[in-house]
Amino acid sequence: MSAPSSPNDQLSSDTIALDKNAIVAFATLFDPQPYHLDTDAAEASIFGGLCASGWHIAALATRLVSETLLANGIPFLEMTSVGHLKWHRPTFVNDQISVRIALGSSHSESPITDTFIQALEVEVCNGDGEVVAGMSATAAIATGPAAGAAL
Amino acid sequence: MTTLYLRDRWFEDLPVGEFHVFGSHTFSELEIVDFAQQFDPRPESTNPEKARHSHRQGLVASPWLVTATWMRKMVDYMEVYAQGVNDGRRNGAGVAINDLQWLEPVRPGHTLTYTYEIVEKPERVIREKWGLIRSRNEAFNQYSEKVMQFEIDILAERRPKRSDNVQE
Repeated sequence: MSAPSSPNDQLSSDTIALDKNAIVAFATLFDPQPYHLDTDAAEASIFGGLCASGWHIAALATRLVSETLLANGIPFLEMTSVGHLKWHRPTFVNDQISVRIALGSSHSESPITDTFIQALEVEVCNGDGEVVAGMSATAAIATGPAAGAAL
Repeated sequence: MTTLYLRDRWFEDLPVGEFHVFGSHTFSELEIVDFAQQFDPRPESTNPEKARHSHRQGLVASPWLVTATWMRKMVDYMEVYAQGVNDGRRNGAGVAINDLQWLEPVRPGHTLTYTYEIVEKPERVIREKWGLIRSRNEAFNQYSEKVMQFEIDILAERRPKRSDNVQE
């Protein structure tokens, strides 16, 4: 991955494979509904197959955002808000998840000391290049000495 | 008299203004660290010692743990108060969320109480059988501070027309 040349460049993440065990493990803890736990029930559901909890996808996307920003020298501290998140299609067993990140051009003040707020547009893609979710978010980015510590 | 529970009802039966308290959850250090190692591996959430020297001055939960726990509390609540959930027939999936904000840090030992209120029923029909229920969801800590809020659109099955001859 290379550093962005302008604020509007997209950054691309590595890929995470989601196997059945991971999908069921997350759902068992946080979203124990039939279409995330049981293959037969999932096939009869609105999704048509066993698929990951949307919250699992959101959490994995945030991990990929964090790793990708840090790898590009942007000292990400934490996600602070999500203005909009839409799940476009289910993520099925053995799908490969990655994110594309566009950095907003404006920065705003942060309630967290030694940080500023960065707007992010995140697309979550599967292995076929389909967008499975889109997220408009903000993150706290470290400045000053804290930036070095974060990286 | 028949009591109609949350998911026992059709879209048309769910009123704007309906309010539920899904329940409370106390976060342990172990679950905060476990979640963060998988999904949000920052020292503020994975390493109590490093967290003390971080901008958070102590271990804090990943924001998505706070939000994912909302989902768990909702599912648990539905299992108690809704009938016919397990067949997935009227199990509405989430479509989108708006205005998700994490307002205060959540630390080991904190207890959050999760609330849900139906705020809108947008006029949309999806795949001929679903409507949208928009709810506002909030979590409060033991100091009564609001620590999280968001709105979510969840599918709810519309009442079948008589000609569909669907069994209740």
